[in-house]
Amino acid sequence: MSGPGVTTTARPRSSIWTSRSLIWNFAQRELKSRFKGTTLGWAWSLVVPLATLFTYSLVFAVIFRVAPPDFGNGLPGFFPVWLFSGLIPWAFFLITVNTAIPTLLANGPILQKVYFPSYAPIVGSAGAILAQTLIEFGILALALIAFGNVGLTWLLFPAWLVIYATFVTSVAISLAIMNVYFRDLVHLVNVGLQLLFFLTPIIYLTASVPAEWYGVPLRAIVSLNPIALFVESLRALSYDLQIPLLSTWVGILAWTLGAVAISAFVYRRWGLDIGESV
Amino acid sequence: MTDLAIAAEHVSKRFWLHRERRTGLKERVVRGRAPTAQEFWALRDASFSIERGSTFGLLGQNGSGKSTTLKVLAGIYRPTSGRVVVNGRVSALLELGAGFHGELTGRENIRLNGAILGLSGRQIDAAMDSIVDFAGIGEFIDSPVKIYSSGMFVRLGFAVAVSLDPEILMVDEVIAVGDEEFQRKCFDHLFELRKRGTTVVLVTHSLGLIRDLCDQAAWLDNGEVRELGAARDVADRYIASVNEREAHAQHVGGGTGPSDETPMRLGSGEVRITSLEYLDGEGNHSPVLLAGAACTIRMHFEARSPISRAVFGLGFHHESGANVAGPNSGRVGPYSLERGSGYVDFAVDELPFQQGSFQVSTAIVERGHTYDYANREFDLHVRGQGDEEPGLTRMPGTWRPPVSVPSSEAGTPAAREALHVEQ
Repeated sequence: MSGPGVTTTARPRSSIWTSRSLIWNFAQRELKSRFKGTTLGWAWSLVVPLATLFTYSLVFAVIFRVAPPDFGNGLPGFFPVWLFSGLIPWAFFLITVNTAIPTLLANGPILQKVYFPSYAPIVGSAGAILAQTLIEFGILALALIAFGNVGLTWLLFPAWLVIYATFVTSVAISLAIMNVYFRDLVHLVNVGLQLLFFLTPIIYLTASVPAEWYGVPLRAIVSLNPIALFVESLRALSYDLQIPLLSTWVGILAWTLGAVAISAFVYRRWGLDIGESV
Repeated sequence: MTDLAIAAEHVSKRFWLHRERRTGLKERVVRGRAPTAQEFWALRDASFSIERGSTFGLLGQNGSGKSTTLKVLAGIYRPTSGRVVVNGRVSALLELGAGFHGELTGRENIRLNGAILGLSGRQIDAAMDSIVDFAGIGEFIDSPVKIYSSGMFVRLGFAVAVSLDPEILMVDEVIAVGDEEFQRKCFDHLFELRKRGTTVVLVTHSLGLIRDLCDQAAWLDNGEVRELGAARDVADRYIASVNEREAHAQHVGGGTGPSDETPMRLGSGEVRITSLEYLDGEGNHSPVLLAGAACTIRMHFEARSPISRAVFGLGFHHESGANVAGPNSGRVGPYSLERGSGYVDFAVDELPFQQGSFQVSTAIVERGHTYDYANREFDLHVRGQGDEEPGLTRMPGTWRPPVSVPSSEAGTPAAREALHVEQ
C-alpha cells in the first residue's frame, strides 16, 4: 500500500473508456476460449440454460405445482416462460461472479509483467457473459411474442439492462479484488450464492413468502435483496407489461450506486497493487 | 535543463514478508493480523534520472533491487514513497509471451497481447502483417499457441512487443533466452531502437552489454544506488568490487589447499602436490585469475624421497564438464627433485580462458609411472574483465582492416579472375 505523498506517473492515466480496447480483447478471449475444443461449441451457451429451464419447470410446475401469474395481456400464465424471465438475470449474476473471482489469480503472470488496470479482465468477461445473456433474452422475447405478450413497457428494457449490468460488474470487481487478499472468499461466495438464489423470488412468488417467520421479517428480506428487485422489475416490464413501481427503481438505483461506490473504494484501496499480491 | 525521459526521486519500495501467507479468513480471525510479518525494503531512497534517447543500465547482484526498480518504472509496482515521473509511451519487456492464452491462435493472441501492451485495435491491425512476418512461424500463426514449441512462443512474444515502437523500452535481460539466432535478433533490435532514439532501460548481468550499449548506469546494492554515472566507470567499479568480495570469500574459505586425507589421490606417493597457488601478473598471491591477463600457477610439492625424472602436469576442467587444457612439463624435459618440499611454476602470458569456474587436476609422473594424481581437487575461478566473448577460451588473433573491391569492378569477369588469382 502506498503512503501519502506518493506521486507516480509511471502508470498511464486509465479509465474504463481508455481501456476499452483491452476490455474488448479480454471479452473476446473469454468468448473464444470458453467453448473451444467442444463439439457443440457456442450451442452450449444455449443448451445449458435451456436444460436448467426444463429441469426447474419439471420440478416446480409439475411436482410442487407452483402456479405462474397470468400474462400481462390476460392470457393464463405459462410456467417455463415466467421462470425463464427470472432465471436469465440470475444466471447472468451467478456466472459473472463465478467467472470473475478467480480471474485475477489466473491472470497473475501477466499482472506481474505488464501494468494494466486490474478491472479490465473482469469487465471484459462480464461483457462476454452479457453477450450470451442477450441471446437468452432474445429467446425469451420470442417466447413472449409467441404468446402475444408484447407491450410498450419493453422500451424500458435497455435502461434496466444498463443498470443491472453496472450493478453485476461492480459486485464482480469488488469480489475478484478481495479474493486476491482473502482467498477464502471464493468458498464463502459459493455458499452465499446458494442462499441468495433461494432468497430471490425466481422459482416462487414474493407473495407466497410468509411476512414473518419466527420473528424474522422474511418477506421484507426477500423483497429488499437487490437481485429480487432486479428480477421483479424485469418481470414487471416484460411479463406483466407493467411499469415497475417508482420505489423499485429507487431501490435498484440505490443498490447500483452503492455497488459502484464500493467497487471504486476496493479498487483504489487494494486493486492498484495486484501485481505484487497475486 | 536536459530533456528527461524518466526521473526517480527518493524512491523506496517496501514489501511485507510473511512467514506463511496469512490470506485465509480463518487464520485472520483465529490468530489475528499476522504478527510475524517483517518489512523488507527492496529499494531504498533511490534517485536517478534518464535522459531522453539515452540507454540506461541497471546492474547489481541477484536480489539487489534491479528488477524491483524496473517494475516500479514500468508502473507494475507503486513506490512506497518517493516519486517517479515517466514521459513517453512505455513498453516493458519483462517476459515474452506473458499473457498468451493457450486455446487462442497466434493471431488472436497478437490482438490480446497488443491490447495489454496498450495498442489500439487499429494499431494492431496496421502492425499485424509485420508482426506475423517478424515472428516467422509460418502457418502456425493460425493454430492455438498451446501446440507451439517454446521457441515459437518466444518469437511471437518478441514480435508483438517490438511492434509497439515505444518511446521508452524497459528490458529485463531474462528475455534473452532461446537460440543463438533469436538472441542476436533481440540484441540487434535493441541496437536498432537505440539508434532511432528510443530511451532504453536495461537490466543485465553482462558487463559487456553495459559497456557496449549503455550511456549511463546505476549499480544497485541491497536496494540502494551505490554508484551512478557513465556506464563504463560504473561497470569498472562494480567488477572491482565483485573481485574483491570473491577474493575475501576465498580467503575465509581456507584457500585452495587440498585435504591430505583425500581418498581420490592416486599414485605411489613418493612425491605429492600439497597445494596450488595462483599468482597474478605482478607475482602477488591472488585467489582469482583474470581472463586474458598474465599469471602463474604455482604447484607446491613435498617429496619423501629423491625423484630423478619427474614430469608435472595440470588439467583444467570447465564447469560445463569440458576438459579445456592439459599442459605438462614433459616437453622441456623431466626434472629431478630433492627430498623435501618445493614448488614448480607454470607461467602464462595471457590466460586463454573466459570467465568461469574450473576444476584443476594435478599429476606427477615418470615415464608411465604415476607418483601423484589429484583428480579435480582444486578450484580455479577466472574473472572476466568485461570483454567476454562466447566460448570457453579466448582465441588469440589479429583483425586486419577489410579489403573491399568496388562492386563495378568486382562484377566483371576480369576482376573476379584477378581476385581468384590473388587468393
